[in-house]
This record gives sequence, structure tokens and C-alpha cells, in this order.
Amino acid sequence: MINGIAASRGIGIGSICVIKEHELKYEAVKVEDVESEKKRFDDAIEQFKAETMEMAEDIRKRIGPKEAEILEGHLVMITDPSMSGEMGKMIAAGQCAESAVEAVCDMFIGMFSKMDDEMMRQRASDISDVKVSLLKILLGIEDVDISKVAPGTILVARDLTPSMTSQIVKENVAGIITEVGGKTSHSAILARALEIPAVLSVPDITSTVKDKDTAIVDGTEGVVYINPEGDVLSQYIIKREEYIKKQAELQGFMGKETVTADGKSVELFCNIGTPKDAKKAMECDGEGIGLFRSEFLFMDTNHLPTEDEQFAAYKEAAEIMQGRAVIIRTLDVGGDKDIPYLNIKKEENPFLGYRAVRYCLGNKDSYMVQLRAIVRASAFGKVKIMIPLVTCVEEIRAVKEMVAEIKKDFDEKNIAYDKDIEVGCMIETPAASLIADIMAKEADFFSIGTNDLTQYTMSVDRGNADVAYLYSTFQPSVLRSIKHIIECGTAAGIPVGMCGEAAADPLMIPLLISFGLTEFSVNPVLVLTARCIISKWSKADADALAAKVLSLDTEAEIVALLKESAKE
Amino acid sequence: MVSQKITITNEQGMHMRPASVFSQAMTPFASDVKVVFNGTAYDAKSVMMLMSACIKCGAEIEVQCDGADEADALKKAIELIESGLGD
Repeated sequence: MINGIAASRGIGIGSICVIKEHELKYEAVKVEDVESEKKRFDDAIEQFKAETMEMAEDIRKRIGPKEAEILEGHLVMITDPSMSGEMGKMIAAGQCAESAVEAVCDMFIGMFSKMDDEMMRQRASDISDVKVSLLKILLGIEDVDISKVAPGTILVARDLTPSMTSQIVKENVAGIITEVGGKTSHSAILARALEIPAVLSVPDITSTVKDKDTAIVDGTEGVVYINPEGDVLSQYIIKREEYIKKQAELQGFMGKETVTADGKSVELFCNIGTPKDAKKAMECDGEGIGLFRSEFLFMDTNHLPTEDEQFAAYKEAAEIMQGRAVIIRTLDVGGDKDIPYLNIKKEENPFLGYRAVRYCLGNKDSYMVQLRAIVRASAFGKVKIMIPLVTCVEEIRAVKEMVAEIKKDFDEKNIAYDKDIEVGCMIETPAASLIADIMAKEADFFSIGTNDLTQYTMSVDRGNADVAYLYSTFQPSVLRSIKHIIECGTAAGIPVGMCGEAAADPLMIPLLISFGLTEFSVNPVLVLTARCIISKWSKADADALAAKVLSLDTEAEIVALLKESAKE
Repeated sequence: MVSQKITITNEQGMHMRPASVFSQAMTPFASDVKVVFNGTAYDAKSVMMLMSACIKCGAEIEVQCDGADEADALKKAIELIESGLGD
């Protein structure tokens, strides 16, 4: 078994075809006939552009516009004055075309690969692709044709370039293994778009395997087996069948309503961190945004984002969601999230200190900016305000007063907003849970944050390995708290959601159905999985299981029972 | 020469797509267009140079335009950055 990076889910079993790379050798001679060298270079550039355009068109048709953009990027790069322009200058000064191409590309590769930004480092591999393609054209080297590989082929390459990808016939390639690349590299993006299992960054794989070796590519776990034993192979054949069946089943939930087995509708929302993630939520069939973390606007910058900057981001998310709910959590700073320019003092116990709504209400000027931006964005969709870490009802009242003040100001200035904008709160502290009935009179909705609720209820720092064993949402105390919060919300007639990791946990879902949760907010990639599990539980079955669970004394017994009863 | 300071607000900063949107929009102008960031001036008509500046969301840059159509070039540049560079 060899480990690599799990880049594209699924299991592929097949026969290896190693893609050998040609050596791009040339002699860097001084050119006498500069004119004809310039022409040779210009022709190569024209050929490169024509081929790249053709490949981009092909990828656009077969895979999608987003993936074709990679190749269109190559076109933009080569036409840039500092690329082909610089190369041309070097050739005019007597260098051969090959060394001009290599020198300019290598300079940019060096520059981009040193940047502390994954997206920018990715550009280094783009430039490297451009360089290799140009050198191949100049040296007259034909690319390996991988469009003709036999069905059931596992492609093994140092790197999967977009030009190789454009030749892949999806039906014939069972898996991909490369020596370089990470989760966000082009190879990974393209493999995922083609739905071919892929494991990347497997060291020396091209030199340790040969054509016709049998390989298993487990792109879910990120492992590769070369010439596996019979029992491993048969295990994986079964695993592959199960995976394919499961995927087909999940796809059947695309575009469907989220309903329990006895036909009760619940809402299935997504947790996101940037407006761009909202697109992903839509693609994954999320029915709304249950948690939009606003911290991204405050991180990676050196100043407090202005009202306009924040408004633009919230409006973008609201527009992408086309009228579906977008619940924006106001700044949750402090605790483990430090934003240097806010100059929050170092504390002995940051999780018990000046964080989230406490910080915001202590800095009303900057909180006002965020609230105004959110209320303005409410004119563009169904935007809601969610207050994190409340512990007493005065905090909700204070925020609602600020919102009322904003509305009054907007009315005077004729600024559009949603007059019915809801203000709800996270219930993630034992204090808020215990007075959930009081909170429910002030809040328009609840959302249970299981991570903090578990940490505070169990008084456990989950980063501390000595006590982490206590950190479980299935502790009887935490379950009772969740049940109590949902019941208080239901009694007051307000919706209760959950936006912690637990909302997508197959073991937790039946309990949440029994307790009466109305909105599940999950990571976009888990929407279909959650919808599938919810569809398998009726209220009666869930109630029966919950009654048994609540009669148990320990977390271990509860988890064992839930595992035994799980429906996947 | 005319110039204006502005903050980059699109989420990913000056990465491939915003940089090419920006450089392509600046290319037709006769004026020299430069983006000054951290004390260095980068050619705004070159996507490679713009990307090499590694300008992230929240960064403050200065756009400098110098030439016959400098006012129009600056106006266009500021509009584009304010609209999030097509991101």
C-alpha cells in the first residue's frame, strides 16, 4: 500500500499505462540568422495558441467552462508582453528560441513558486505547462497520445497536464496516479470534473511501476496498491461496487425535497465561508445558507472592512441564492480566532473571555458597520442576522435595538431593505440553552452550534489530548441540552436549526428528527448524503430510538446503540 | 500623471482571472498604466506582472496613469476594481 493525496473520490482498478515524458534537450547556441529564428519562434507561438484554443474548446464541451479556463489562462499568459514579448527580445539579441522560452518561463516559475499563496503557486505549474508545450513544438516532439488507451487503464504520470487531460476518454481511464500535485492542482480539479478516481503526490511512482502492472486507486482514502494480493483485490472489487451503487443512490436525491420517511419536510441548508461558496451550495442542491461565517472579510486584510465592502459580499451571496435564506453570522472573533488589527488583548481564558457578540457589543461602532451592511443586503434576497455566543437575553435585545436604529435611518434616507429581516441567535452555550425558553421570546430563530455547545457543556478543550475523550456531542448532557433547545424553540413557534458538524452526522440525524429540528445546515458536499439519511427515518422510528438513547447512562452505550441502528 | 489609491475587495485578490480582466481592459489605452503596491510599480498591462505582485484581498494599491488618455484610463481602472474585477 502506498499513500498519496486523495484528490478525486472513488475506486479504480485496472492495468497501468505509464506516460513517459520526453527529455526536452537542445543546444543553446548563439543564433546568427536572427530573422529566421524569430520566425521559427513566432510560428511556434501561433501553433501553441491554435492548439491550446482547440483543447480549451474540447474541454469546455466535454468537461465544463470552469475547467477550460485553465487553458484559456495559458493563452493569456503567453500573449502577455512580459512573456512572449521578453522572449522575442532575447531572440533579437541572438539567443535561440528554446533558451529564450526556458529562461523567461523559469524566471516566472521561480517567482510564483516562492509565494505564500496556494493559488499563486499553482500559476508556477501553469507556466511550466506552457514552457513544456512550447519546447515540444520548437523541438518537434509529438505528445504521447493517451486517447487510445484500452478500457480499464490506470494512467501513471509525473503530472497530468491539461493537454493530456483533454485527450482522456473518460470511459477508458479507471484511475489516475501522479507524482506531483495537491487537492487544488489542475490534475485534481480535472480528475474530479471527469469523475475519475485519482491519488496524487505518490513519490517516484513513474519509475517504480511498469506498463500492465495491476493497480488499485482509492481516491477517497488516498491510497494506491500495485499488483495487490488476491484478497485485497477482491475486497476492493466489492468496495468499488458499493461506492458506485451509493453514488447512484445519492444522485437520485438531486433536486428532490428533503423529507423524512413519513413525509415531513425539513430544510437542508449549507455552511459557507465566502460568497463564492454560495455557488457551491447551489451546485450541491443546498436549499439555503444556514451559516455564512463573516470572518473571511476580516481576516487576510489589515483594516476593518468598510460597510460597502461587506455589503458587496453579503449581497453577492444573497443574489447567488436567488431568494433562498442566507443566514449571516455576525463577527465571531476572539476565542481561537485572532484578527491582529482589532488588538484584542491576550487573555488567560480566551474561550471564556472577550469574544463574538461580547466583543461586538463592546465595539458598537464597528458592529454597526457590519449590521448596516447586512440590513442593506437584505434588499437582495432573504437575508437573516444571526448572533453568535449569546449567554443572556440582553444581548439579543441590544442587537435588535441596533437593527431598529438602522431601519429608522434607512427609512429616512430611502435606502432599500427587507422590513421583515429576522434576527436570530446561535445557541451554543449552556447558559443560552438553560434559558432557551426566554431567548425564544426575543429571537426570530435558533441555530444550535454543536461544536461550542459540546465544548462548553463538557467543559473540555478539544485541542487538549488529555481531555479530548470527553468531547462528544453524544454525551447524555449534550443530547439533553440539544433536545431542550429544540423543544423550547418549537414551543415558542420559532424555527430551530443546527449548523455544527453534528447536523450531517448519520448517527445524530435520527435524534434531531425525533427532537423536532426544522433546519439542518451542513457542508455543501454533504447535502445529498444528509438528504438520503433523513429520507430513511420516520418520526415514529426516530422517536423509538431517541427514547432508548435518552434512557442510557453513558456516551459509549449511546454511540453503540446509534451505530447498531444506523441507516446509511 | 494621474493616480488614485484603492483597496482590492475581490475575495481572491489579483489572481489569474481578475488580473487578466484588468490587464486586458488597460491594454487599449495609450497611457502607461502602473499598479504600485508595497513600494514597487508593476505594469498593469501585463497579467504576469500583476500576478507577481501577489496582491491579496484587502490590500491597498495605487493606480498611476500617464499619457494622453490618462484620465479615462484611471476612471476605467477604478471602476473595474470597485466592481470586483469580474470575480
